[in-house]
Amino acid sequence: MRILLLSLAFLTLSFSAVIDDYLKDLSAQAKQENPNFNGFDTKRGEVLFTSEHIGKKGKAISCVSCHGNDFTQSHQNFFTGKIIEPLSPKANPSRLSEVKTIEKWLRRNFNDVYNREGTAQEKGDVLTYILSKDQ
Amino acid sequence: MKFLLFIILLTSALFADGYGYNKTSKKGVAPVNNALYLKECGSCHFAYQAGLLPANAWNKMMNNLENHFDTDATLAQEDWITVSNYLNANSAEKNMDYKRSSRIVNSLRGRAIPDSISQTPYMIEKHNEIRPSLITQKEVKGIFNCMACHTTADKGIYSSRDIVIPNFGRWKD
Repeated sequence: MRILLLSLAFLTLSFSAVIDDYLKDLSAQAKQENPNFNGFDTKRGEVLFTSEHIGKKGKAISCVSCHGNDFTQSHQNFFTGKIIEPLSPKANPSRLSEVKTIEKWLRRNFNDVYNREGTAQEKGDVLTYILSKDQ
Repeated sequence: MKFLLFIILLTSALFADGYGYNKTSKKGVAPVNNALYLKECGSCHFAYQAGLLPANAWNKMMNNLENHFDTDATLAQEDWITVSNYLNANSAEKNMDYKRSSRIVNSLRGRAIPDSISQTPYMIEKHNEIRPSLITQKEVKGIFNCMACHTTADKGIYSSRDIVIPNFGRWKD
């Protein structure tokens, strides 16, 4: 039992460490891109996440179109109808647990909604917004 | 005797679908058996079986993932290689013993490389009797959504008896 608890505690720690380390990397990059950068911002992240733009498909969409507003719930891909598992790491422990996957989706989804990749600051803001909903 | 021959000819004509009858010993199309393919491609849409397109069409698609039906579907290089290799090794022309793969390949003879499964002549013909509004309705969204009507599509089975169209019901050929 103790081993189980210890390994569970370790797993939780290692999961949160992935996103924390990634945010640190993004923060260093953001500082390089903009010397006035002073930390990620939930509010800016929310605006990035919820504002609509003419995306790659020529239709006005936002991140909400596919992920919804309640990150503890799954949602449907706006175009294909495929179920997308919850964004909240609390509701969906595999979420934000692997840098390669985080980078893949940030790259793709910024391109799909904004028609360009996100800056380091924008990516950090969006991630900070997603994490803030779990608080 | 003449009459018997006539009956045989008539019945074979009835069952022919324009693409000839190859010897296909297996129904449907070989199911997906690659975990990375399922994860990477199946997270946005139905994980179409590799045997639904020939290799040249898969390669055309895989070389344009930045603009994959107007979305960014780019992959990390090592994953791109794994998925491409899987599609190439299991493409339709290598699965001619499966009925659907064989029909698709035969329908493409002398045609340009298709951009999608739904643009192959076989798929166009198989779906042309369906009212467009049944395909665009919100429960289906588009022709790309196999599982919306083909209830066993994920097993590689596309038989007419397994078709249930939302707001229409069972499909009878």
